Amino acid sequence: MGLSSVTTGSDATKFCIFDLRRGQHEGEELDKILFFYPADLPFSTQLSVIGLSEGLITFTRIFSPEAACEVIEAEGHSHVFYEAEPDVWMVMIVEKSKESEAIWRIDALRRVLKEVHSLFMMFHGSIRALLDKEPSGGLVRSHLYTFIMDYLSDFLVGKKLQLPNFRDSLKERGTVQMLTIGREAAIEVQEDTINLFTYAVLRFSPRALSSGLSSWSYLRKGNVSSHAATGSVSANSGAVLDQFYRSSGGDPSYHIARPLQQDKWTKGKDGFLVSDIWKAEAGSSAATTPTIWLQKTEEKVFLCTFQHRNLTLILLFPVISLLNEEQGISLVKQQVLENASLKIVKVEEKLSKGWGGENAYHVSGCRYLLVDGDRNVSRASPPTKVTTLTKESLVALNKLREEVDLEKSRAKSDSPDSDKDMEICIRAKNNAWVIARFTRGKELYMVLEKANETLLYASDTVENFSNRYCNGLFSLD
Amino acid sequence: MGSDSDSSTSADDSAADNADPNPNSTLIDQNLDAIEDQLASIVLAQPNDIEDSSSEQEVFKDAPNGSLLDEDNQQEIGGGEIVGDEVEVVSSSIGVVWRSSELEVDQPSSPSSSGYAGERGSSGATSASEIEEAGGDRIREVGRDDSFDGVSDSQAPWVPGKRHADEDDASVSWRKRKKHFFILSHSGKPIYSRYGDEHKLAGFSATLQAIISFVENGGDHVKLVRAGKHQVVFLVKGPIYLVCISCTGEPYESLRGQLELIYGQMILILTKSVNRCFEKNPKFDMTPLLGGTDVVFSSLIHSFSWNPATFLHAYTCLPLAYATRQAAGAILHDVADSGVLFAILMCKHKVVSLVGAQKASLHPDDVLLLSNFVMSSESFRTSESFSPICLPRYNPMAFLYAYVHYLDVDTYLMLLTTSSDAFYHLKDCRIRIEMVLLKSNVLSEVQRSMLDGGMRVEDLSVDPSPRSGSSSPHLGQSRLATDSLDRFQEAFVGIGGPAGLWHFIYRSIYLDQYASSEFSSPINSLQQQKRLYRAYQKLYASMHDKGNGPHKTQFRRDENYVLLCWVTQDFELYAAFDPLADKALAIKTCNRVCQWVKDVENEIFLLGASPFSW
Repeated sequence: MGLSSVTTGSDATKFCIFDLRRGQHEGEELDKILFFYPADLPFSTQLSVIGLSEGLITFTRIFSPEAACEVIEAEGHSHVFYEAEPDVWMVMIVEKSKESEAIWRIDALRRVLKEVHSLFMMFHGSIRALLDKEPSGGLVRSHLYTFIMDYLSDFLVGKKLQLPNFRDSLKERGTVQMLTIGREAAIEVQEDTINLFTYAVLRFSPRALSSGLSSWSYLRKGNVSSHAATGSVSANSGAVLDQFYRSSGGDPSYHIARPLQQDKWTKGKDGFLVSDIWKAEAGSSAATTPTIWLQKTEEKVFLCTFQHRNLTLILLFPVISLLNEEQGISLVKQQVLENASLKIVKVEEKLSKGWGGENAYHVSGCRYLLVDGDRNVSRASPPTKVTTLTKESLVALNKLREEVDLEKSRAKSDSPDSDKDMEICIRAKNNAWVIARFTRGKELYMVLEKANETLLYASDTVENFSNRYCNGLFSLD
Repeated sequence: MGSDSDSSTSADDSAADNADPNPNSTLIDQNLDAIEDQLASIVLAQPNDIEDSSSEQEVFKDAPNGSLLDEDNQQEIGGGEIVGDEVEVVSSSIGVVWRSSELEVDQPSSPSSSGYAGERGSSGATSASEIEEAGGDRIREVGRDDSFDGVSDSQAPWVPGKRHADEDDASVSWRKRKKHFFILSHSGKPIYSRYGDEHKLAGFSATLQAIISFVENGGDHVKLVRAGKHQVVFLVKGPIYLVCISCTGEPYESLRGQLELIYGQMILILTKSVNRCFEKNPKFDMTPLLGGTDVVFSSLIHSFSWNPATFLHAYTCLPLAYATRQAAGAILHDVADSGVLFAILMCKHKVVSLVGAQKASLHPDDVLLLSNFVMSSESFRTSESFSPICLPRYNPMAFLYAYVHYLDVDTYLMLLTTSSDAFYHLKDCRIRIEMVLLKSNVLSEVQRSMLDGGMRVEDLSVDPSPRSGSSSPHLGQSRLATDSLDRFQEAFVGIGGPAGLWHFIYRSIYLDQYASSEFSSPINSLQQQKRLYRAYQKLYASMHDKGNGPHKTQFRRDENYVLLCWVTQDFELYAAFDPLADKALAIKTCNRVCQWVKDVENEIFLLGASPFSW
C-alpha cells in the first residue's frame, strides 16, 4: 500500500489534481480526484497519494497559514505542490532514481504545473468554473484529462516523461524570449502574452507545422521526438478513462476541443492557420475559429493566426464584438491581407536578414541566462552551446539556482517591495565558475568553463557582460 | 521532560482542563484530527495501523516508574542503576537547580501558566507584547531576525532550561516560535519538545509520527517539507524520531545536522541500547529516563546559534603559549597511561589540552556534546562528580564513566574511563593533575588567555612584509610602530580589520580544529553575531554540497556581508567583510589571514594531540 505500490507503475512520475472542497465524507473520497497520471493506477493508490498531500497541506498550515506545503522531499521522491486555484491543488511526484539525469530544480517543476494550468485556463476557463457548471465533476475531468495528456505528450521520450532537469538550468519557463528590438516596439508581456507565446511555440512554430522551414532559435520548440509516442499514452489508459473520467459524468460523449493535440494546425492558402480542433465542439462540418479566455480581462476572444515564413502574427478580438462570426472573421482576414500583408513580408525580410541565426545570442567564453522577472522576458545562450557544458557544471548551477530560488522567495515574503541584491560566485570542484547575480528584479546566471582560476577574472567577465548586454545593470558602480 | 508531572494525565484531559489562551484551539485540534484522518483513512489497506500507534489515550500508561530520577539526585558515585528490565540505562547525574533565583528572569505572566510551569522554574516568562527568549529565537511577531537594534535586550545572558512550558500546539504563541525541536518515539509518544509541555503535545506528536510512518509504509523516507518560510526536517534513528520545524532560513543540511547532534546528546545520556526498550515494548515511555535533562538540550539548541563547532565538526582551543599547552598535555598524558581512556582539560567550550589512551581518538562532535553536557548541568560545578556517559561517535552502545571536576569557575577536567569503580583512582589522578597545573602556572595562564581573548581582526597587519618569526603577545602580528597609530584610529571608528574584514574562521582539516577571530565592531550584539553565524552556516552548506562538493572557492555578497570561503586539502577559511568591501583587497586579506594563522598555529591549535607524536 502507499507509495511503494505507486512506484510499480510504468512511469516514475505521478501528477494529480484534486479539490479540497470535495469528497470530505467517508466513502466519497474519489470525488476529490480531478486528474491523475498515470490514470491506470488503482484508486486506492491514487487516494493514498492525495491523502498524504492533503495531510501535509493541513499540517503545514498550522505553522505557515499564509503558505501551505510547497514541496515534500523524501529520499526517493520529490513531491511538488502548486495551488492552482483556491483549494484546487496540483501535485507532481518525480522519482529521484539512481539514474544520473534525475536532478531537478523544484521551482522549474512548479513552473511546468503553472504553465499547464495557465494554458488550460486560456482555452477552457478555470477548473472551479467547470466544477460549478457540472458539480458531478465529469465535465472538468474529461477536459483536464485530454488537455493534460496532450500537454504531457511533449515531454514523452519513449514511454517516460522527461521533465526539465539540471540540463535546463539555463532556461526559464514562463518567460518570453524576445528579439532585440526597440523598447517602444516591444509589447508588454503579461500572463496572457506568455500563454500565447507558449502556445505559439508549441503548436504554431514552423517545425510544429512541419513546413520544413528553418526556424529561429529563440522559439522554444516542442519535443520533436515525442510525436511518435503520443498514441501510446491514450492507449494505455483508455479503459480507465472510460470508467472514471468519462462515464462518471453521466454523459459519455463530451465534445472536447483538444487545442494541444499535435499536428492539428495547417497553413491555409491565404496564410492563416487553420485547424479542425474546434470542429467537433461546434458540431458543424465547417472549421470554426477558436476562442480563448484572456486572464486579465476575463474576456472571451477569437484567436486568429497569420503566418508568413518565420513570422507569426496573432490577432485577438472580442467575441462580443462580432455579431456574425463567419462574416466578421473573414472581414478581418481580408483586411489583414489587403492592408498588412505587404508590411508583414517586409518586416519578415528585415528580421530574417538582421537575424544572426542560431547563434545570434551566443557570447563567447560563457554560457548564460538573463531573466527580467518584471517584464517576464529572458535571453540565454543558444541550446547548442549549453550542451557543450559538462554535467558537473550544470549540476552545480542547478544547485546554485535552487539556493537563489529560496533566497528570492524568502526575500519576497519578508518584504515584497524590497529588491534583493546578491552575488554568488562559486568555483566548483571541476574548476568551472558558476555565477548568480540578482539585482532589481533581474537575474543573471553564468557558467565559465576552462576559465582562469582567479575570482577577479570571473567578476571581470560578469562586469564586461553586464556593460555590453545589460546596460551595466550588474556592474558594481 | 516532565518527570515531575503527573504521569497519569492523558493528553486529551490536559488539553481540555487547562485554561485555554487560544480561541483557535478547537480549530487546531480539528486540523490535527483531520491530518490523521487524511493519512489514516485514505489508506484503505494500510498493513501498519497508524490509528493504533497514534492513539493518545495510552500515551503515558506504561511509564515504568515515573519517579525514576528524583530531582534532588545531585550526583551519584559509582555508576548506574538498572532501569527497565533489561537495558542498563543509567540515570544521569544532573541536579538541576530549578528554583535558582538568579535564573528566573521574570515572573510568569501568562494567564494560562499552570502550576506545572511554575514548578519547573520556567524562565520563559515574558511581557505580553513581546514573546521571545533571551538570546534565543524570537517569534516572528517580534520582528525579523535582522531587525535588531544595537543594544537590544538580547544582550542579556542566555539562561538554560525549558521555555514556555505552559504552551502547547493550541497556543498561537507556540505556533509562532521560530524554531521547534521534537524528539518522539516511533509509536508517537513525545520525548522532548523545545517549547511547551511534552505531555500536552501528545496529539501533535502522534501527527508527526503519522506523517513519518505514512511515507515509510510507502517505501520512502521523508526528509523535508517546505511551506513558505517554514521547513519541517525529519530524522529517523531506529525507534527514535527527531523533527525540527523552523522558519529561520537555515539550510536543510544544517537543520539535519542539528537533529543529529540532538540525537547524539540523547545517546550521550542513555546510550543506543535504549533501542532495546522499544524492541521489548514499542510503547515504551522514555521521558522518565531523560528527566531533568531539559537544560542539556536547551543549551545544545542554544549553541546552534553561536557555536561554529556545531556545523564545522571541529573543536576550538583556548589560545596558549606552546610551552604552557605542552605542560598541560604532559601531565594528562601521564594519567592516560594509568587506565584513563581520555583526559580532557577544557575552559568553557574551548579545549586546553586533550589526550587519548593509545589509539583512542575523540571525535569533535563528542567533545562538543560532552562539554555541553557538563557545562549545562549545574551539579558538576558544585563538586567532583562521577557520571556514566556515552560518546556516540566513539561507541554509541557502551557507557563510559566520566570523572568531572571544576578547577576554577570556567576550567574543568574530564577523565573518562571504562571502569565503573575507578572513582577513587580518578580522584587521585585529578589531584596530581591539579597540582602540576598549579605549579606550572597553567591555570593562571588559562585565566589570562580568557581575559586576553583570541585573534582580533584589528591586529591583522596591513603590511605584508615578513614577520619577525616569534609571535607577539595576544597573537597580534608584529608590526612597525607607524602602523599602530593607524590601527588605533581604525579601531575607534569601528570598521574592523583591514579591507573591511569583520571576522573569520579558519578550520584545519587534519587537526579537526578551528580558530576564529574575536567578534569586534561592527559585529557587536548577540543578534548580529547570530546572523553572521547563520550566514557562515549557509556558506558552509553551500560549499559542502553532497552531490557536487566540496567547491573550491565562493564569493558571496548581499546587503549584510561580503563572504569569502576558500577550501583546500589542508584548511577551510571563512571570512566576513563589509558588504562594500573591494573584491581584490578582500582576497589579499584572506591570504594574509591564512599566513597569520600559520604564524601562530603553535598557540591557537593543539598540535600533536596523538600521544605518539611527542
